[in-house]
Amino acid sequence: MKNKEKHIGFILFVVFAVLPFTLAFGYALLYSFGVIGIVNEGFTLKFWKEVFTSSTLGVSFIYSSVIALIGVILSVSLALWIVLKYRESFGNKYLSFIIYMPLAVPGIVSAFFTYQLFAQSGFFARLSYQLNWIETAQQFPDLVNDNWAIGIIITFISLLTPFFILLYLNIYKDERIEELSQLSRALGANKKQIALKVSLPIMLKKSWVLIVLYFIFLLGAYEVPLILGQESPQMLSVLILRELKQFDLTKISEGYVMAVLYTVVIMSATVFIFSRKKLRNNAY
Amino acid sequence: MRISLKPFFLSIMVLLILFPFVYLLWLSLSADWSFPQVMPDYFGLKNWKALLISETGLLRSFFQSVIISVSVGFTATLSGFVISRNIAYHPKKNTLTLLSYFPYIISPVVFGACLSYFFLKLGIFGQMTGVIVAQFMISFPYALIFFNSFWGEKTKNMEDLVSTLGGNRLSSFTKVLLPLAKGMLLVCFFQTFLISWFEYGLTSVIGVGKVQTLTIKVFLFIREANYFYGALSSCLLILPPLVLMYINKKYVFNKLT
Repeated sequence: MKNKEKHIGFILFVVFAVLPFTLAFGYALLYSFGVIGIVNEGFTLKFWKEVFTSSTLGVSFIYSSVIALIGVILSVSLALWIVLKYRESFGNKYLSFIIYMPLAVPGIVSAFFTYQLFAQSGFFARLSYQLNWIETAQQFPDLVNDNWAIGIIITFISLLTPFFILLYLNIYKDERIEELSQLSRALGANKKQIALKVSLPIMLKKSWVLIVLYFIFLLGAYEVPLILGQESPQMLSVLILRELKQFDLTKISEGYVMAVLYTVVIMSATVFIFSRKKLRNNAY
Repeated sequence: MRISLKPFFLSIMVLLILFPFVYLLWLSLSADWSFPQVMPDYFGLKNWKALLISETGLLRSFFQSVIISVSVGFTATLSGFVISRNIAYHPKKNTLTLLSYFPYIISPVVFGACLSYFFLKLGIFGQMTGVIVAQFMISFPYALIFFNSFWGEKTKNMEDLVSTLGGNRLSSFTKVLLPLAKGMLLVCFFQTFLISWFEYGLTSVIGVGKVQTLTIKVFLFIREANYFYGALSSCLLILPPLVLMYINKKYVFNKLT
């Protein structure tokens, strides 16, 4: 009876968690090799060759990685600085609630808000006009749908920083960094040494898995670059979807090649993260 | 004398946090606001009244989003709780947990695009059921990972004790495990509810514009350059999580950790 229950549980796990992912990956793989697909005629490597000879995916991958990396690094740095410098203030009843509020804002709303503020007809452009800094909307710098992805990075920072502040406040408390800092001070360490050799190493060590996970999440971000990104290069998810949804049916297989490559990279990164640290210690 | 920048910095931080909420509410109450005006020509409840008009479909979208998110939250939490037990006590626990990370960590929109063929074959493409199933597929792995830490030596000993005292598996679940996990179940429900509530990419691919949740509405209004309704939809999207957070802020925070 117990064995039967175990098997049912395992089967349900496979059906709900493993099967959808396997089906999606298998479908994309078969499509990428031309085995399935309305206009495909059988197994071929031509779609893979075309993707590898074109620079689109490579450029998009580098572009997405750089944006995700900048977003994560700036968010983590800002959060660490705020927590190390102003952590006592978060004990305040109102501030301790206010700091949670940004977590109620989804990515799509955050992107919309950034657009409203930084577009050439946005709030800051209007203010600049009233202050006589600009005479036409076009004179306001391109901060959304721009070459440097400034709008995307600002949105990523606004989404991630509050989360990391809360995370580091918790780590600071749970890891008793205050007590360790006092001990270091008693042993003669100054403020800078305490921050660099005690607080930061502990906080970064405790959060590195989440930092990497958030890098991966940002790498696959969709709605933020869809609203704030430019036509070319595009971030990975936007590019893959564009390829998969295009009218030229002969090109769809190339979209699936990109989807397969993206999935393989994400899977490898996940395996790497969890082979470095035991899952039990990392997950929650 | 050294001047402390702390009050100044904290005030700026509070202003930065509150500004998006105030601005979006302000925008939702505005109309006829063209460049270079800093203030709108109209300020009032016109847009909010439009909420009740069926043409905007916002009220319908709101309730549709609630139904989808509650369904996803409820099914993912319950099934995640029950099935995570099998994973936690499985000899290959680490491998199985790793497998459950894949659908959670991959971009939902890419995942959805690769799965859309199967949804089409099942006849749930472009339907609310399809969106619920698709969102369940990314929320369920989250619930599995979330409950991983619940099952351990202590829980196993309790189950053994129930068994020794003559209880069966059902009574073990209903009388011991569920009451023990009540807090975690509630937290997981709110997290999975939020995963679904915030979801855009997967919903747009599987719903193909026919299932218009609030996130889809926000995007549609942005595309139409109807920023006032966009702000109104954004307010409706932010309101429930904000209320949940006010009730208990830990529900939201745990989602992300």
